[in-house]
Amino acid sequence: MSEAIQPDVTIDSRGATCPGPLMDLIGKVKKADPGTVFELQTTDSSSKNDVPEWLEKAGHELLDTVEHQEEGYWSIYIEKTE
Amino acid sequence: MPGYAIVLASGKLERLQAVGNIASIAAASEIPVDVFATMDGLEAFDKDVIEGMDFEMGPVGRAMLEAEDMDMALFDENFARAKELGPISLYACELSMDALDKDLDDYADVFDDVLGVAGFLGHAEDKQVMFV
Repeated sequence: MSEAIQPDVTIDSRGATCPGPLMDLIGKVKKADPGTVFELQTTDSSSKNDVPEWLEKAGHELLDTVEHQEEGYWSIYIEKTE
Repeated sequence: MPGYAIVLASGKLERLQAVGNIASIAAASEIPVDVFATMDGLEAFDKDVIEGMDFEMGPVGRAMLEAEDMDMALFDENFARAKELGPISLYACELSMDALDKDLDDYADVFDDVLGVAGFLGHAEDKQVMFV
């Protein structure tokens, strides 16, 4: 259940267009220790689809994507691996 | 992944944004990128042009700038951020600068150096070249 995910770091990229949210995420992920869990908040639907593509290439784990319909944004949960 | 060598010769906002976005994400993903800004593509980095948002643009660029719920970082900001995250270098075309009697101080602070064509081809020889 997504509600159970407790992120170590929350990145609020709401309002920013591509590639802002992904750039925000990459910058933070690079500096973090393995095992760190992130919540990336984005209103950009292209980022919602593009972030998982990057995760696959970079080898980090996509934990969950939760849509907050009323507020109009997505939360993408990520865990940094090695 | 040997990386990309991008010749940026257009001053059109949509093309500048597309190059800024692709190059930034590539570099942030540890893919080497060299950008050679030349002709109209270099003039788009002129500080006065950026300040005045004096770009050639089409409907997509206008829509992105006018949308109140979209916070679009301009290409020069994306390049500056990418340089903090990964292997990206930007070079300004010497010929274009000489033609207008300018130096690097006239442009946004993203350039690593000034290069001629032979210099850029040296950087590009092991990379995939994109011409925009």
